[in-house]
Amino acid sequence: MNNPVVKIENLVKRYGDLVALDHFSLEIREGEIFGLLGPNGSGKTTTINCLLSLLSYDKGDIAVFGQKMTPSSYDIKKEIGVIMQNVAVFDELNVYENIDYFCGLYIRDKAQRRQYVDEAVQFVGLEDFLKFRPKKLSGGLLRRLNIACGIAHKPKLIILDEPTVAVDPQSRNRILEGIQTLNRNGATVIYTSHYMEEVEQICTRIAIMDKGRKIAEGTKDELKRMIRNTETVTIEVLELDEAVRAEIAALPHVYETVFDGKTLTVCCSGGKHNLIRILGVLQAHAVSFGRVYSELPTLNDVFLEITGTALRDKEE
Amino acid sequence: MFLHCLIYELKTCLRAKDLIIWLLLFPIVLGTLFKVAFGSLYEKNTLFRTIPAAVVEQSAESMLRTAADAVSEGENPLLSVTYTDEATALEMLEQKEIKGILYAGDTVTLTVGGSGIQESMLRAFAEQYNRYESVIRSTAQQNPQKLPQVMAALSGEVSASSRISLTEGNPDPFIQYFYNLIAMVAMFGAVTGLHIVSDYQANMSALGARRCCSPVRRAVSLSAAMTGSCLAQSVCMITCVSFLAFLLRIDFGSRLPLVYAAAILGGWTGVAIGFCIGAATRFSSNVKTGITMVFSMACCFLSGLMIGNIKAVIAEKAPWFNQINPVAVISDSFYCLNLYSDYRRFCVKILTMLIMTVVCTVIGIILSGRKQYASI
Repeated sequence: MNNPVVKIENLVKRYGDLVALDHFSLEIREGEIFGLLGPNGSGKTTTINCLLSLLSYDKGDIAVFGQKMTPSSYDIKKEIGVIMQNVAVFDELNVYENIDYFCGLYIRDKAQRRQYVDEAVQFVGLEDFLKFRPKKLSGGLLRRLNIACGIAHKPKLIILDEPTVAVDPQSRNRILEGIQTLNRNGATVIYTSHYMEEVEQICTRIAIMDKGRKIAEGTKDELKRMIRNTETVTIEVLELDEAVRAEIAALPHVYETVFDGKTLTVCCSGGKHNLIRILGVLQAHAVSFGRVYSELPTLNDVFLEITGTALRDKEE
Repeated sequence: MFLHCLIYELKTCLRAKDLIIWLLLFPIVLGTLFKVAFGSLYEKNTLFRTIPAAVVEQSAESMLRTAADAVSEGENPLLSVTYTDEATALEMLEQKEIKGILYAGDTVTLTVGGSGIQESMLRAFAEQYNRYESVIRSTAQQNPQKLPQVMAALSGEVSASSRISLTEGNPDPFIQYFYNLIAMVAMFGAVTGLHIVSDYQANMSALGARRCCSPVRRAVSLSAAMTGSCLAQSVCMITCVSFLAFLLRIDFGSRLPLVYAAAILGGWTGVAIGFCIGAATRFSSNVKTGITMVFSMACCFLSGLMIGNIKAVIAEKAPWFNQINPVAVISDSFYCLNLYSDYRRFCVKILTMLIMTVVCTVIGIILSGRKQYASI
């Protein structure tokens, strides 16, 4: 097992009466892309801010690279790249100058810095915008600049706090691919998001947070194995007798059926050929149906089953 | 690292829109308006100008030509005389080419076209001429042997008092508006100082949070920011004074280098005050900017930027206030340079500015020294 890069133990952070982090513990190992998934207000950013020693906390211990993290841990900070949720660049500097400024806070040697800046520019694909001021950039390009500023010095640990908020799909894909490339190049990545698809796509291990607590942790497969659901079958049906629905509910491995007047949703736990058996019942009763979907469980299902609320519902 | 931070601090400061507007463009516009409004008032009302006049000689015996020629010579003559006939002279008066017509008959009579200072001076000249001519004529008739003594006495200046000039400077009272304008620009440096706190504290801005994550020691980043802000402010102060002195031709007296020095130090005082306000208050960046602007404008108002004599009123009612109002202290330093030949008062003002700068900077450093925040 790789060495732990980040170790958080029993972290408690209160804002007055509100408990933002409730005995939160975490261990992130070298070479991982670790995802912190949770709805807004679940404590992801608070965790990151405590980890970076920006926020004081009430209880707990935080160690990075095996050393206690404090505001004066400059040697540790040298190895960390931070991409904040809010874009943190200078409006008065152009793209190249912004990256050069932040890179220069970590790299003293001018020639090396120039090379690193050029590589960062290339990495995020901003070669054509070097002289542009941030206000002239689109949301996606601005996010890419924000990332370039955070990774130009080639850190060992990269923390990305919701880097794809308000970003178009094309830029989002480029950002996600870039994060995977950084990881392949040796960086450990902490990635916070409330977009479960992104976390599912790139993270090797995931912690799901809600109300300041870690409610589940593991690889995406491990997380999905934690829940009962293994398959959800959705069928468009215009009419459905209660007797037919009851027959479907009685099928092996089916543990829940919901009919809302247009769609029949059948949740299955384990087993094979669930879809064939369900369609067989419908055909036997001459029930006409439209489109049919069979979906494997998502992290949203994991969140739903553990908290009783869908992750998406919490965002609305 | 310090140099890297300093270079970028300078770049961001000198490209900041609010700095360009408030510290460069605003004083240029306001200075130009002041120049238009006050620039010629003093010269028009106070400074002497040669009086254009016509002389119509009606008697061959008149000695007016001798007297008029005598006062029309020299570097700054009293009269600029045109000898002509009455019709031409009247036409010139009507065209306002001359201020009056001196008729040289048995006595000198005067016709003027208005009632200003120059017309009054012409009247005084005519009356004095008539008095002197009468004395000379009667002396020539009664005691001709004493005529040379009388002539000598009349041509010499007799005075019971002597004039001592206390200053070599510009006595124009309207120059106080330009002093206050420079002081206002210096005080606007507070906005620059405020940015130091906003951009370096994690709880004030995303940029502040991002900078706090970097491995640069707080002392290095803060000192680079402070130095950069002071240098940028100095550029603004030099631009402002140069614009006023060389383009608007405002007379700051003979010690212009010291005016620059006082203006630059005043700018640093402004930066330090903004830094202190930013560190001492726990509001959002916008509220802090509002507080700083209100404070700056209040100091400017009480120093007489908007109402010229308010500083005199304060000096009478609460003289201590002018000693702690930074704008008043800065503008007073220019006064002292202009009006007093010795440097004692100027040095007191400079020392006051230095103390303000150091105290505000120290308070700012102490209050902004916090490294972790309860909330961001």
